[in-house]
Amino acid sequence: MGGTDELLAARLAAGDDYALAEVFDRFGTVVYGAAVCIVGDGNSAQDVVQDVFVELWSHPDRYDPAAGSLRTYLTLRARHRAVDTVRSELRRVARHERHYRLTVGDEPRSPGEEVLTADMASTVRAAIEQLPAAQRQVVELAYFEGLTYREVALAVGIPEGTAKSRLRLALAKLETVLDRQLLEPP
Amino acid sequence: MTTSAPLPAGLRARVLDASRQARPAGRPFPEVPAISPVEAFSRAAEALYQTLGALDAAGWRRPAIRDLDVQGLVGHLIGVEDDMRRCLAGDPAVAQADHVASTRAAADRQAGRGPEETLDEWHHAVGRTLDQLAGVDDLEAIVALHGMRLPLRALLIARAFELWTHENDIRLTSGLELAVPEPATLHLMTALAANLLPHAARSAGMRQAAQVHLVLTGPGGGTWDVELDGMPVPGPVQLSIVTDAVGFCRLAANRLTPDELELHVTGDRDQAAELLAAASTLALD
Repeated sequence: MGGTDELLAARLAAGDDYALAEVFDRFGTVVYGAAVCIVGDGNSAQDVVQDVFVELWSHPDRYDPAAGSLRTYLTLRARHRAVDTVRSELRRVARHERHYRLTVGDEPRSPGEEVLTADMASTVRAAIEQLPAAQRQVVELAYFEGLTYREVALAVGIPEGTAKSRLRLALAKLETVLDRQLLEPP
Repeated sequence: MTTSAPLPAGLRARVLDASRQARPAGRPFPEVPAISPVEAFSRAAEALYQTLGALDAAGWRRPAIRDLDVQGLVGHLIGVEDDMRRCLAGDPAVAQADHVASTRAAADRQAGRGPEETLDEWHHAVGRTLDQLAGVDDLEAIVALHGMRLPLRALLIARAFELWTHENDIRLTSGLELAVPEPATLHLMTALAANLLPHAARSAGMRQAAQVHLVLTGPGGGTWDVELDGMPVPGPVQLSIVTDAVGFCRLAANRLTPDELELHVTGDRDQAAELLAAASTLALD
């Protein structure tokens, strides 16, 4: 069956699982490709693809055919979801590193973790490189060194409030940079 | 930028399974609130009452259906309510009574009366039906009215269907925009029409077995997989029909022809056309 995006959206809302299969067959490769660009071709990319299609099926109203094509919508959702994955993975790794420092010292990460981290973090690290030096410093201390606001303030020699506001500003810029990357046409 | 990495094996099945677990296939989004068939009938009657209440005297004299003007049509509906109450009381005389002939006297009785008198009589007739229904516990009980033998639940939805159809007959002759039932009532109507398709196909003499994937779009719609029994043919015969929920109900009410529906069909188009033509025989005028 042929069908415009509008018809596909209406069929998804009607609970037509044939339409969902049709959407996957048309756009699954593109969605997977968008995820691989950001998180690599491991399990995380498959998780991203699953999340994107489950979201489309569970909340078909979030796609508005008047706002753009289904292909673009799904690609953007994949990129957002992939960057979320990278962000949460960075936080997890930072927590993990700090935990090791406090408990068992400088034990190396597992090879799998090293690969995952390197792969998934590349996009975010590139964005961090674009920050002004002062902001980059607090981001690195807080997220890669796992320091608290107070520890960041002491390390840099600035008041704790300044550390907080500098970090908030840095993260806002970071999100803008990442979002701009997300909005690049596929 | 994206890559053109090939899809990993098994990802398609994994994604489709996870999706169906999150929201079962066939279930419309957003889900419509469940209402009882009694409520659907009551709401359809109220909608018709509002439409009739807004008509002027000339509006009541406009031709509606068959040889009836609007007032005669409301008289017909008074007759239907009388038979409905007899049906609820178990009177076998209305089981096979003809839908039109049985209500003819009530329709003819309206000639020369004021519209308000007719409106009041019909409104009171609906009220008496609802009073009688208030004492009924078992909506699955089989009842018989005007040649139909079906659970009371289905009869009430068919009655909601009938009132909505006649409301639109009146709106059409009055130059008013056609009414659309609110989604909760419409969903009961679409489900009834979808589930009656095998009966319609049998009645129309369709001989070939098939599996029909029926998708009715828009609020009140949904997706149904319906089996048409009949002579088995080699290999699975599958028809997929996608159309608008309201349009499909108008087809089932014999107010639209299949040609007038915007259809998306996969499979044997002739068989789909035959099935949709059969669906339009479900109506009681």
